[in-house]
Amino acid sequence: MRSILGAAIDEEADVTLVDMEAGLEHLSRSGGTLAYADVLLVVMEPSRKSILTAGRTIVLAEELGIPRVYGVGNKAQEGDEEFFREVCAEYNVPLAGIVPANVDVVEADRRGELLAPGEGLAVREAVVRILDFVDHALVGVGPS
Amino acid sequence: MKLGIVGKGGVGKTTLSALFAQTYAARGLRVLAIDTDSNPNLAHSLGLTTEQADDVPLLPRSVVVGRGEGSLTPAELLSQYGAVTPSSVTLLHAMRITQAGAG
Repeated sequence: MRSILGAAIDEEADVTLVDMEAGLEHLSRSGGTLAYADVLLVVMEPSRKSILTAGRTIVLAEELGIPRVYGVGNKAQEGDEEFFREVCAEYNVPLAGIVPANVDVVEADRRGELLAPGEGLAVREAVVRILDFVDHALVGVGPS
Repeated sequence: MKLGIVGKGGVGKTTLSALFAQTYAARGLRVLAIDTDSNPNLAHSLGLTTEQADDVPLLPRSVVVGRGEGSLTPAELLSQYGAVTPSSVTLLHAMRITQAGAG
């Protein structure tokens, strides 16, 4: 197989999800790990630095030819929804969804553990909406 | 379907990746999650203990970026390098590309 994200892995997995470490190396033209991605979710928080990183990432992803590049606003507080909408409009990418700031997530991070069942319900609902958005965007593409 | 999650460090990529993976798995899909961080953060978020996370073998660089020498089938690759997590998501641990290059 040419790469872990090459076509063959689809024989074994319906969904292959890559959590990329910070940095943009994986989007380089030569064999970047994400060159084969069908969908790229660019996660932002309400901070200028994360927005600037997102902007650079979106440019590279489009150069690579990743067919669907979407923004995700995370850790949103009151008023951040509009902020994320404006940023995505500026970068010309659809906003796949907004995830609210959540105390359960902060506490699970502090423990270094999985978010327990029943915890972070608003976050879980936002995640479902984002995946529904992705599924909807893939309709008509057929099984990958 | 191949889904990449990117963003500046600290924005919550790993937490969201784990929730995306679990949600797809709960929908009955076969989910493969690939952690590219040298610290096994995604492993923890998917419910593995530190000890279990340390036991997940690192994928060789040739498999990650591909140089033509990879002869494993996808099924062999998953059985040799994959770890099944409590949420039934299969985890692969890929080494950091920058680190591999620096050797």
